[in-house]
Amino acid sequence: MRVAERYEPTVEADAEEARQLRETWKSRGGLIGWLGETDHKKIAGRYIVTAFVFFVLGGLEAALMRFQLARPESGLMGPDLYNQVFTMHGSTMMFLFAVPIMEAVAMYMVPLMIGARAMAFPRLNAYSWYCYVIGGGLLYGAFFLNVGPDTGWFSYVPLSGPEFAPGKRVDIWAQVVTFTELAALAAAVNQIATIFKYRAPGMSLSRMPLFVWSILVTAFMIIFAMPSVMAASSLLALDRLVATHFFNPAEGGDALLWQHLFWFFGHPEVYIIFIPALGMVSTIVAAFTRRKVFGYTAMVLSLVSTGFIGFGLWVHHMFATGLPQLGQSFFTAASMMIAIPSGVQIFCWIATLWSGRPRLAPPLLFVLGFVFIFVIGGLTGVMLASVPLDVQVHDTFFVVAHFHYVLIGGAVFPLLGAIFYWFPKMTGRLLSERLGKWSFWITFLGFNLTFFPMHILGLDGMPRRIYTYRAETGWGDLNLLATAGALVMALGLLLYLINVVSSWRHGAWAGDDPWGGEGLEWSVSSPPPDYNFQHLPTVRSRAPMWEQGPDQPVVVGLRSDRREVLVTRLIDAEPDHRETLPDHAMSPLAVAIATGVTFVGVIFTPWAFPIGIIITGIALIGWFWPRDESRELLEEQP
Amino acid sequence: MRPRPRIDVASLPTLAFGPRAPLWWGVASMLAIETTMFALLAVTYFYLRGNESLWPPAGDPPVGPATAGLFLMLLSVPPMIMVHRESGKGHRLKVMRFWLIVSMAIGLLALGFRIAEFGELPFRWDHHAYGSIVWAILGMHGIHLLVSGGENLLFVALLFKGPVEEKHLLDLRLNAMYWYFVVAWGIVTYALIYLDPGVLRS
Repeated sequence: MRVAERYEPTVEADAEEARQLRETWKSRGGLIGWLGETDHKKIAGRYIVTAFVFFVLGGLEAALMRFQLARPESGLMGPDLYNQVFTMHGSTMMFLFAVPIMEAVAMYMVPLMIGARAMAFPRLNAYSWYCYVIGGGLLYGAFFLNVGPDTGWFSYVPLSGPEFAPGKRVDIWAQVVTFTELAALAAAVNQIATIFKYRAPGMSLSRMPLFVWSILVTAFMIIFAMPSVMAASSLLALDRLVATHFFNPAEGGDALLWQHLFWFFGHPEVYIIFIPALGMVSTIVAAFTRRKVFGYTAMVLSLVSTGFIGFGLWVHHMFATGLPQLGQSFFTAASMMIAIPSGVQIFCWIATLWSGRPRLAPPLLFVLGFVFIFVIGGLTGVMLASVPLDVQVHDTFFVVAHFHYVLIGGAVFPLLGAIFYWFPKMTGRLLSERLGKWSFWITFLGFNLTFFPMHILGLDGMPRRIYTYRAETGWGDLNLLATAGALVMALGLLLYLINVVSSWRHGAWAGDDPWGGEGLEWSVSSPPPDYNFQHLPTVRSRAPMWEQGPDQPVVVGLRSDRREVLVTRLIDAEPDHRETLPDHAMSPLAVAIATGVTFVGVIFTPWAFPIGIIITGIALIGWFWPRDESRELLEEQP
Repeated sequence: MRPRPRIDVASLPTLAFGPRAPLWWGVASMLAIETTMFALLAVTYFYLRGNESLWPPAGDPPVGPATAGLFLMLLSVPPMIMVHRESGKGHRLKVMRFWLIVSMAIGLLALGFRIAEFGELPFRWDHHAYGSIVWAILGMHGIHLLVSGGENLLFVALLFKGPVEEKHLLDLRLNAMYWYFVVAWGIVTYALIYLDPGVLRS
């Protein structure tokens, strides 16, 4: 890196530059400005709020199920409504909450953590959010019109096929899936380009924060996993709408094909949710022990290998379908193997905690809760990897208990910790630690009360997805306990929500760096200015805030009269060239509406497809056509 | 203000090609997504084939229009390479226009043959699973021919109407990359549907 002479701007020149940057990067006002927003922080903020709205809705559905199952032969809900509710709960939590929230937090934090002014494709972020909102709106619109999907979040054929699921319910589910996956893919592509090309000078791959590594691995997993469920849901929609026979055994199709396509996405999906959470845990552990995470290289390799192994496990969801012996052994081995990288990371965190002096603030409490819960979930996971046991407890509450331990323990707890940790950066205000501790302990207690009994219920033979059971089964007491636990857990989450809402308005001012964090995100004001960094930072350490002195060079020479960003090299992040990013735009909204009309339209008529291609094409031309304020024209012009 | 060492980036260029450019990574990621899509359809094809003793279950599909279409797709590549080569230092707008029109025209002709190909198929998508997957694979690739052909058309319009900016040189190269991808999958699609049952296993 060339370091030129010392930088001594006058106070006036500095203030003038900041003023110009504000002018260039500021959001436009009014409805048009709001709809055309492209700032990664503002889009991500909307994304996070939207995802938590769906989290609350999914939680309410869970509560409904718990009330229904609290006693035998309860008449609260009939079977049809119950089917819709558990399908809505699963689809909401997986497609509308877990993946989007992780993408959203990354969309907010990654540019700040790598020292960039923006993400590589600002308009693509906006498109992603619009697709997500349209998909979620479609699902809930349908539910409230009593056409909510009712075949479970994995919608197995033949149950979801044209013969056994007439009507529009499953079509809606299929299109919602396509939509939300489209949103996730757009966000993932954006993350890859941003992480590869926008890192601050000096932030080589070997100095990248672990959270950014986790998002990079996740983005690649999304790219290779999500197409599978889009293909599956599209083929299902074709079977249902134009009478193809992909899943119809009578005409040469195959029902198991659905399960392969779905789980080739579905298992990596679990890791798409879990790997960002690992990055959050590493960030929080480092901040609250004031130690760099032990074993950086081992941590990175664990993330990457989890990403790879995650693609080799899908068949363990299908042990009950009768597989060749070799297949069973292979997928059992792979399912056990994935415990190794997870174990390596757990040991690295323990080593970090051991060597530091941990401060038990709420974010770290949530992380410790994660370790406790996730280890239990991991152990039942290793149990389920064994075919004989899996066949025994397949489709029982044991499985329900297992995946809630890994998903809530593995993703929601770290997420709540991370929101607590980054909330001051996003809003400028601190959350209340006292309320935070209360909400942690109540949620933790409630969680275990809810889901631990389900292990026993499952071993006792209680199947999942039944709307009621008879008193003679003897499942009543444990179910009542689980329902009581769910209420406790809901109280804990409600406290968290109250904390967020009240602190957003009345919380103590946080300042730039309330936790003494290690990453670049703490070097800017809270909330960050629209342009993130007035002078891009440079990096020579994995913990720039802890190990870099005031003589660390800054980057100058980027223009402040347009949205110019610095592009650096992939491996070593040496400065390479500059590029100008687009301004606010309505085109993402137009394209999202056009794709929305297409996908919703085909539920009703195949003609929506050709029409949709045309209107989407027109909207895309509007996206790509150069604006009048062209710069750097070629000399020769028509 | 405390004096700090600085790195001045004002002299860095504003355009770079290939993996140096963020947009290249965007397009490459999109092609990875599309490749996964195509690969999954191919896997579905073989999965369904495993269930049949006779494949294709209803006789070989006619190979005529598909072969002509494939030939045209291959023919469209050299002019696209000319566009690719021209969009860099010392670019000549007229040369880019000419070769892009040639490549686009041949590509659209290939799309016409794809439509004819559907007309020649002796089965429909709703006859049997084989029909479903063949229509899906050909349809999927047909949509790519259409979209990529539309993109070529868009760039022809841009080159004539302007204003053509420096950064459009990168866009033209990435457009060429997308076209190569579509042609490459055209070859694989052809091999899968016509060579696999008809030639390779006879």
